[in-house]
Amino acid sequence: MSDEQLAVDMRGITKQFPGVLANNHVDFSVRPGEIHALVGENGAGKSTLMNILYGLFPPDSGEIHINGKQAHIGGPRDAIALGIGMVHQHFMLIPVFSVGENIMLGREPVAGPDFYDHARARTAINELTKRYGLALNPDARMGDLPVGLQQRAEIVKVLYRGANILILDEPTGVLTPQETKELFVVLRDLVKSGKTIIFISHKLKEVLEISDRITVMRRGKVVGHLTTKQTNEEEIATMMVGREVLLRVDKKPATPGAVVMRVENISANTDRGVPALKGVSFELRQGEILGIAGVEGNGQSELMEVLAGTRQVTGGRVLLGDRDITTYDARTERGAGVAFIPEDRRGTGLVLSFSIAENSILGRERSPTFSWNEFVLKLVAIKEWARRLVKEFDIRTPSIEVAARNLSGGNQQKVIVAREMGSKPKVLLAAQPTRGVDIGAIEFIHRRIVQERDEGTAVLLVSAELDEVRSLSDRIAVMYEGRIVSIEPPDAAEERLGLLMTGGGAPREGAA
Amino acid sequence: MPPIVRRLAGGLAMPFGSVVFAFVVGALIVGVTGANPFSAYAGLICGGLGIGCTQGENPALEISNTIVFVIPLITTGVAVALPFRAGLFNIGAEGQLLAGSMACAAIGIKFNTLPSPILLPMVLLGGMAAGAVWAGIPGVLKAVVGAHEVVTTIMLNYVAQWLLRFLIIGGPLQLGPGTSKSLPIGDGARLATLLPADNSLIVLGLPSSVFRVHTGLLIALAAAALFAFLLWRTSFGYEIRAVGQSQKAARYAGVSVRRTIILTMLIAGAFSGLAGAIQIAGVDHNLTDKYFSDTTGFDAIAVALLGLGSAVGIVLASVLFGALHSGGAIMQSDAGISSNLVLVLQALILFSIAANFVGAIRRGLPIGRKPSALPPELPPAAGLMSEAATAPPETA
Repeated sequence: MSDEQLAVDMRGITKQFPGVLANNHVDFSVRPGEIHALVGENGAGKSTLMNILYGLFPPDSGEIHINGKQAHIGGPRDAIALGIGMVHQHFMLIPVFSVGENIMLGREPVAGPDFYDHARARTAINELTKRYGLALNPDARMGDLPVGLQQRAEIVKVLYRGANILILDEPTGVLTPQETKELFVVLRDLVKSGKTIIFISHKLKEVLEISDRITVMRRGKVVGHLTTKQTNEEEIATMMVGREVLLRVDKKPATPGAVVMRVENISANTDRGVPALKGVSFELRQGEILGIAGVEGNGQSELMEVLAGTRQVTGGRVLLGDRDITTYDARTERGAGVAFIPEDRRGTGLVLSFSIAENSILGRERSPTFSWNEFVLKLVAIKEWARRLVKEFDIRTPSIEVAARNLSGGNQQKVIVAREMGSKPKVLLAAQPTRGVDIGAIEFIHRRIVQERDEGTAVLLVSAELDEVRSLSDRIAVMYEGRIVSIEPPDAAEERLGLLMTGGGAPREGAA
Repeated sequence: MPPIVRRLAGGLAMPFGSVVFAFVVGALIVGVTGANPFSAYAGLICGGLGIGCTQGENPALEISNTIVFVIPLITTGVAVALPFRAGLFNIGAEGQLLAGSMACAAIGIKFNTLPSPILLPMVLLGGMAAGAVWAGIPGVLKAVVGAHEVVTTIMLNYVAQWLLRFLIIGGPLQLGPGTSKSLPIGDGARLATLLPADNSLIVLGLPSSVFRVHTGLLIALAAAALFAFLLWRTSFGYEIRAVGQSQKAARYAGVSVRRTIILTMLIAGAFSGLAGAIQIAGVDHNLTDKYFSDTTGFDAIAVALLGLGSAVGIVLASVLFGALHSGGAIMQSDAGISSNLVLVLQALILFSIAANFVGAIRRGLPIGRKPSALPPELPPAAGLMSEAATAPPETA
């Protein structure tokens, strides 16, 4: 191995940020032509390491060798010159520009003194896309493309700048399962044509599927170098978290009680006025978890919003017990006992600049528990409440006055989960309850959801992770194009669910 | 340094830095024009705060005059700061103030025979109502059709100014032909001065009637306290802040964003209108053409920004602006420097806030970087990353 020239060889990288040792003597090496996965929980130092490699900031100590030569990377420009390219988790694209313009941005071919040369740009892009088998129309408007193709444009942009070593930061986080599959095909093709890929992720299944070797980080240190073929999910998870992790959800069979919520033939539109729900009906019982499986964008988000009172129906009705709550707004829904964990925790679940204490009463700031006459806040009661939630839900924070913004993703999510479960709801709507949180928090949140069920709450779960739906749910409703196409038992085969999710397969007897 | 101290220091750097910046540039301007900046500022300090007077001014009188200017600044400062917390920029405090002063004058003239316990609340509440209407219109427009409040409040400033012109020049409130002021309001509509208006009573070497400080000061301070209470101790204040920080999260929590916007503007307008009513009831006792060029409602924007939108900050910033305003005359008479320098200083303060010089300087210095401001779950440099990424790294 020592005589093999490494594509990337980072040795003894240390980076201290005020209060955090982000990288602590990290050794990281990537062989040419491999897909190397860098895994670790949020805050483990993966991104810091990659940002150092991309020149976004200098390491405090340690050295970097690229293709066997010591390199000084003072900025992204140096990194690009060395053939290193980075595809960020959040795309750096201009939606109103065409694909071609986005790719060329900053390196536009010019005709004459200063005119953008459309013809040459198009040829260059066509050549690139053909070479790597990446179908992409250079004239399409970026904003009109689905996320998967936008990401592809990002990759082409990096290739256009001459990258041989591609860093992909959480590339599958925004993709549908199909798009992920397509991305993996692209990545394999890129490797075949001689590129080297560093794949940052915390989705272990994907890592096992796509990578050749794995480096695991925890708390700023490398805790393991693994060869993908010789390892498994449990081993990586244990390394990442530093203890045994329960990947399977441990739960008893459900004992469903009376029907709590009845959804009858509801329809609703998206924000753009396009029908998103086309007659959805189901019943939700006490003490059960009904999971909704489906490719994102098939009406799940709108369904949750309708039930939470933040979106109006265009038809049908929702009953809570005997009460018709179809037209309830978010506040009255909460008052009636419907709790909602929204899918976008940073955008809609929390006010990021508010403290934990303030966030812990969001939506209940007028309830008699927290205010006199719906007006004067009971500050003492709010603090007590927040302290209780922090303790009970194991929210890791120095104090309840810390702004939500400064918590880790997992702890932010725990604040929302705590707030919603703490109100002892009849119905809990959980939309993507573990999206983007670390394994430890996922385990915790799953356990709490099951516990909530066992205490008699009716839980409606929406998740883009089919595994999550399968492991938590007592029944699985599959959504496709605004309809529930079938209601399946929890042990339904993954293949069957996958087929239903994409519009194939016959519904089961008696399904709505 | 404990985090709380660091946060406090970080928060106060902006206002103090801006003021220092303004005074340094102001001194340069004075120096370049051949005058002595030290004597200019000595005049300002004497006239504004009654400190270090050399020409026989009475310090107590100077302070009294300053407070008269401070009173409406506090109230209108609150009227800008409250919508600011809801994510709204109320540029219309001036128009709302004028609406309040017109309503106060109209009621005070029309019912000039009523006794004070009835008429005084009437003129003050009338002024608040008029101001609330004046701010409520932009509020409703914003909430219902999405019209931008900056545009609508500015436009309503003009409407108020021209309405005032109409009322006192040839209009129903004009004192007499050829004048540009209104009839005086009834005695019952007047706010008492803090000291009895008695020429025979000598206070600090002057007859007590020359001290114009009036009981509006107590109302203004109460307004500031009410503002703080509303914002931090009530469900409604909580909702205002939630709407201001994240409309989406507020909406998901069941807060009616429209209702919050409208109510916030109504309350803000009531504060501004109160300021206008207090000016009439406490200082001028009639509408005059000096209101054509009144800038209190605009200074209030600087006051709210400089005061960081907090009650204490607004009071302190009001004192600064009031002192500048009041000190200008003494500077002019003592140091022979045009009191317009005060306007330059105010503009420089506002400019410095808007341009965020202090922030730029702090960002340039490594010690200014606050680790606590970065979310620990992200790489601690995520904040830097976005900066680095927006800088054009790939222009080669």
